[in-house]
Amino acid sequence: MVKASQAGDMVAFEELVARHRDKIYARAYSMMRNEEDAIDLSQEAWVKGWQRLKQFQGESSFGTWMTRIVINLCLDQLRKHKRQRTESIEEMNEDSGGVERQMPVVTVNPTAGLERGELRQRIDRALGQLSHEHRTALVLHEFQELEYKEIAKVMGCSIGTVMSRLFYARRKMAALLADLKRENSK
Amino acid sequence: MIDYKDQLKLQSYLDGELAESDSREVADWLARNPEAAALKTELDQTRKALSGFEDGIKLPESREFYWSKIRREIQRQEAPAPPRPSEPWLYRLRRFLVPATGLAVVGLLVLTVTRDTGSFDASVETALEDSGAFTYHDDTAGATLVWLSYPADNEIPDDDDLNSVD
Repeated sequence: MVKASQAGDMVAFEELVARHRDKIYARAYSMMRNEEDAIDLSQEAWVKGWQRLKQFQGESSFGTWMTRIVINLCLDQLRKHKRQRTESIEEMNEDSGGVERQMPVVTVNPTAGLERGELRQRIDRALGQLSHEHRTALVLHEFQELEYKEIAKVMGCSIGTVMSRLFYARRKMAALLADLKRENSK
Repeated sequence: MIDYKDQLKLQSYLDGELAESDSREVADWLARNPEAAALKTELDQTRKALSGFEDGIKLPESREFYWSKIRREIQRQEAPAPPRPSEPWLYRLRRFLVPATGLAVVGLLVLTVTRDTGSFDASVETALEDSGAFTYHDDTAGATLVWLSYPADNEIPDDDDLNSVD
């Protein structure tokens, strides 16, 4: 299918889009937290994918190659957004460092016993409360399964910053999920 | 309270980013330190909660509709730029006609002026040779023009005058 697409077969390419479209859209959605942006960016990624198909050497799976394209597009978009808005208080707190160091450890599993749909909903809400830098670090590590150095390269920061962002994101997620559990049990 | 550096080391251990010797060291520390063990459990739980999250996200558009937008954009970008309409011969000729017409107009003006001023009624003379003045007189137009050069020839000092010091 990939070979046929590389040869210019658009029917084969449409089949590739059909096979991977959910995954590419899901990655865009995880990063953007917005359905409309995720649809637009995932479509843009497919257009770019078609134009760069000849560069695909098969070193990774086609799906992984495509997710890299959509991640880069999302990062560009998020950087543009960031330039347009002032930093939130949340981000300033995170950058000044230390908040996550003092967070109490969540001892009870906040997602235990949840149905898949409900779990997804809570994670969705918690992810939405992270800054895009923290969310991106988490997405690249947990979903794209990149190593620290690869994340650093993609995000244009040091490995130390990746470690801090990842640690903050995880601890914040744990705290947010615990809060949601408390809210729901009231 | 666990040192921040150790917290990050624990995370690196969980992510498989540590060298073997460091991993062993962290494993020993975890066995001895309940606070560190609790943090490890929390980080593990979060990781597990996230796994499979994206599997449940589905594109909220039909295959046909989603693909149609992609196909349109690909076709739009691949479409060769529309060729510039070939210029009619008159347009091509225009680039030569414009300067030629300009030249012709200038030529006509020169001819007209020459013919007018070339009449026997007009004359040019140096009326005041000493002062470098020229006079032009046109009887037909009833006009007289005088050119004066300044300073006048007789006012230009000699080199000797310039070099002399009083």
